[in-house]
This record gives sequence, structure tokens and C-alpha cells, in this order.
Amino acid sequence: MFSKNLIEYAVILLFKDRADHLFSFIIFTFIVSLLSAVLFVSDAIRSDLVDAAKFGPDIVVENTLAGRAYKLNEEDRESIADLAGVSAVEGDVEGYYYFSQQRVWFHLIGDSSLSLREMSIGEGVKEAMKVWHYDDAFNFFSTQGKITLKMLKTESKQTNVLSNDVIFMHPANVRAILGFKVDEYSKLLVTVPNPNEVGDITLKIVQLLPTVKATSKEDIQASYRHLFYYKGGIFMILYWVCTVAFLILLKNQISLAYGEKKKEIAILRSIGYAIKDIIALKFIQNALVAFSAFLLGVWIAYMYVFIFQAPLLRAIFLGSQLGRSVEFTPIVDLNLLFLLFVFSVIPFLAFVIIPSWKIAIADMSEAVR
Amino acid sequence: MKQITVSNVDKIYNSTKENAFYALKQISFEIEAGEIVILKGVSGSGKSTLLSLIGGLSKPSSGDIIVEGETIAKLPDRLASLYRYERVGFIFQSFNLLNGLNVYQNVTAPLMLSEWSASQREEKIDRALQIANIAHKKKQKVSDLSGGEKQRCAIARALVMDPPIILADEPTANLDTHNSLMFIEILKTFKAMGKTVLIATHDVLFEESDVIDRCIRMKDGEIVS
Repeated sequence: MFSKNLIEYAVILLFKDRADHLFSFIIFTFIVSLLSAVLFVSDAIRSDLVDAAKFGPDIVVENTLAGRAYKLNEEDRESIADLAGVSAVEGDVEGYYYFSQQRVWFHLIGDSSLSLREMSIGEGVKEAMKVWHYDDAFNFFSTQGKITLKMLKTESKQTNVLSNDVIFMHPANVRAILGFKVDEYSKLLVTVPNPNEVGDITLKIVQLLPTVKATSKEDIQASYRHLFYYKGGIFMILYWVCTVAFLILLKNQISLAYGEKKKEIAILRSIGYAIKDIIALKFIQNALVAFSAFLLGVWIAYMYVFIFQAPLLRAIFLGSQLGRSVEFTPIVDLNLLFLLFVFSVIPFLAFVIIPSWKIAIADMSEAVR
Repeated sequence: MKQITVSNVDKIYNSTKENAFYALKQISFEIEAGEIVILKGVSGSGKSTLLSLIGGLSKPSSGDIIVEGETIAKLPDRLASLYRYERVGFIFQSFNLLNGLNVYQNVTAPLMLSEWSASQREEKIDRALQIANIAHKKKQKVSDLSGGEKQRCAIARALVMDPPIILADEPTANLDTHNSLMFIEILKTFKAMGKTVLIATHDVLFEESDVIDRCIRMKDGEIVS
């Protein structure tokens, strides 16, 4: 496409104007790294949630009262179990326990594989408890008195966003701490062997129990996929920062074609460079800057998010103090990266190539006198 | 052998507007191969405009320019660029070097459009630098050179493609007498090499030199003698 000699000369000219190009390079790298970091964090969180939902029940049924989650009972469980197509309905107990000393909420989940004296905790929970010297066991306070559970193990960091504030314990303990009776549940987990029937059965459950909310696995995964509202809040601020930076970058790009550079184009034209050669020179120079800045920006974002665990940015996404313990799973959405590449590199190149072309086609006799 | 033929050339700026201006009016002349000719006239007489037309930097409004049998007045950009690349070497009043690059990198500029290897390019550059007597400053930034050295660097760049035609626009206007005389000495080398040279100037030193074959005088865009 381009001759070796022309590429070599483009590089020579690039280094000649290295101060101007360095400015573009730094701004471009900043924009790409900022946007890539946001993409990486949101993708990692979303991916964790979607993956976790894969192993969940086909339908989750929750009761509501005055718009808030409310208990379900054994009668509800049996009536759903009687629906054709449903193979099993399990009652689940879970809820939130407020650890007032640390001012954080723990998510208690029943797990019948654990004994009555032990619990398994998330990484964030472990850290919160450790602050108050609960190293081996923790005391829960309820209307039935104090319940002491021994810490059996810490959940893997890889399961992450979901397990971070979680405490798994025997369902009887969850009931005792949260005040559930023996035949009461916080959720019903419905198994439907035929995936084609899930939609119909979800509707039937709502018809059968009008106050409940029945959510299919697909709906849960879809809601996780749209977890982040990219058009508002912190994203808007980030976009503005990037837009302003990009405008500064484009202004610098345009200036790379005017002033002293205008004369340079005229000189090259006078010694035999055709318009296409000028465009090629400008393209090679700026493509080198854009590609290297893009790759560096993505690399910095990757290191920042997945190696250094996104300091500052993680608090924006995960919010609670417990969020500090989450470890992001390395997930890179190549489609989004490609979009970012297209919408940053093409304007970057266009804003120097088009003015250069306009100068190159003009009468150069005045410029070289 | 006729190398350059200029026939009835007009150059009109702002031709469609009220303030239309004739930079050149019905210019006609011929230059033989190997001739050294000066275009003489005061500032604004049209010398530089005529050089830029012969060099293919701009196009005449009417008339024809034939170089080595080929009409260059209406060439499309690709062919006009090829013409400048292969057949014309320019030397400008303000040298028109690429600041920030060294002498070697300036002289190599035209060669980078070719497929020549580094050693082939090196050979051509060394030859041009020797002729222009600037080989000893090869690695020096052009911004650090004196006026005379910049001029010699520009000469080396004009010669590096070994073009048959050299066009020089006020080549001594920014030089002292010593360097102006050195430039005139280099013209003898051009003559020996068989180059056709057209110089736009109002410097009297050229008229005193025996290397000049002919003088074309211009005034207000017309040839007066």
C-alpha cells in the first residue's frame, strides 16, 4: 500500500514534529484509557452477574406487600409445585442483616449443606468483621437472642460481585436471625425442565398468586446485561471529560495541518510529492500516533482495572464499603473496543487528513516563494 | 534542441472578479537545452509567476508551455507532480528547507518517493552534496546553518534527482556578495553538467557573469526585451 521509503520518511517527519504529536498522543491515550477502564469495570461486573445467574433456578418467585419484598409460605410453594411442567419448587430463606458497628449490610443466605454452628462468608464480610476483631466467629443478634457462628471459609474472590457481602449459613439460622417461621420463605426457586415452558409457567404463577413477582432466568440475565445506565450519572460526567479532551485533541490535529505545516506541504509538493503522497504521509504519521496511543490506552486500562483493581473507579461502580474487596474478573468485550477504536481513530485521522488535503490541492506557488 | 517553449501564456488572478489582475500577458519565448537564462525585472514584473508555471506549480490561464516536447500546462496533479519530480529542480529565495531536519534528511526528501534502496539513495545524496559543496554539514540541522549553507543544501536537494532543468527564484536575494558569487560559480558546474537553468533575479551580479547565455527582461507581466 505504502512504499517502505515513504513510511521511513513519514517517521522522520513524525519525529521532527514530536512535540506536537506527543501532545496528541498523551490526550488520545488518556481518553482511550478512561473509556476502556469504564468498559472493563462494567463488563467485569456484568459478566460475573450473568454467569452467576446461569446456575440459578429457572424461575424465582418473590412476594410483595406495599411494593416491598414480603414472605411466601408453604401453601404458596405447594400450589406452584402442582402446576404442570414444574418439576420442583424449593423454598429459600435470605435477607439482610445490619452490622451496626461497621454500618454495613450483610446478605444472609440459607445453605442446608452447612451445620448449625458454622457459616461461610464473602471477602468483604470478612474484612468488615475483622475490623472489630471477629476473626473466627461472629455474634448475630435477633429477637431470639444472640447466635454465634464460626467462620468456616471465605468465598472465592472469583465469584465476586455477588458473594462479596454474602454470608451462607444453615437455613434455620437465617430464619432465627431474620425472624422467619419454619414454613415461611423469602423466595421460591422453581425448576422447569423444558426451557420452552418457562415463559408460560411464569405467567401461570402470576395468575395463581397475583401479589407475587415471578422472574425467569432469562429476565434476570437480561436485567444484569442492562445493569448500567450509560446515559446518566457518572457516565455522563466521564463522557463530558472525554468529549472536551477529544475536542482539544482535534483542535491540535487541525493545527498540525496549518501554520508551519502548510509551508511544509507546499515544499514537498514543489519537489514532486503528489496530493496522494501528502495524504499518505499524514495518514502514516497520524495512524502511528493513533494506533500506538490506542494500544497504550487499552493496556493502561487493563492494568488499572484487572491488575490494580481500579482504585477510585471501583467505588463509583460498587458503592458500598464492602465493594472494596471485589476482584474484577478479566473480561474484554472486543466489540465495544472496536467501536471505541472506530469512533476515536477515524475522527482523529480525518481532522488532520482533510485539512492537509485542502492545503495540498491549493495553488502552492505563493506558499513556496 | 528546444527544451522549453512558452507560447502566448497569460496568467490572470481573480479572473472572474472585478479586480482581475494580469500577472503575465502573452508571454512567448524558447530556451535551448543546456542554456542558462536569467529572467530580469523588478519585483512584481511576473518573473516568479512565470517560473512557477514552467515548474508546474501552477497552471496558466491561457497559452501553452511545452517542455521536452510535452505540454505541461494542463497536466493533472499526478503527472504534474511526476514532471516536477523527474525533470525540475527548484531553488527558492527563502531556501524552503524543512526545519527540524538535518541536511541529509532534507536532500533525501525527493528520493523517498522512489523504491531505491538506502545505499542507492546514499550514493545519489553524496553526489549532490559534493556538487553543492555541503557534504561536510551532512548531519547538521538546517536551522543551524548560515544563509549560504542553506542555499547549498537547497541546491543539493534540487540536484539529487539529476533533473535536466533547474529553476531558481531570486536565489541570491538572501545571500551576501561572497555567497552570491559562490552561487554563480555553481552555475558553471550546472553548465558543465548540461543543465538548462532559468533564474528569476534582479541581482546585477548575474549580468556581469559570463556563464549567463541570455537575459529576458520583464516588466508588468510582459517581456520587454
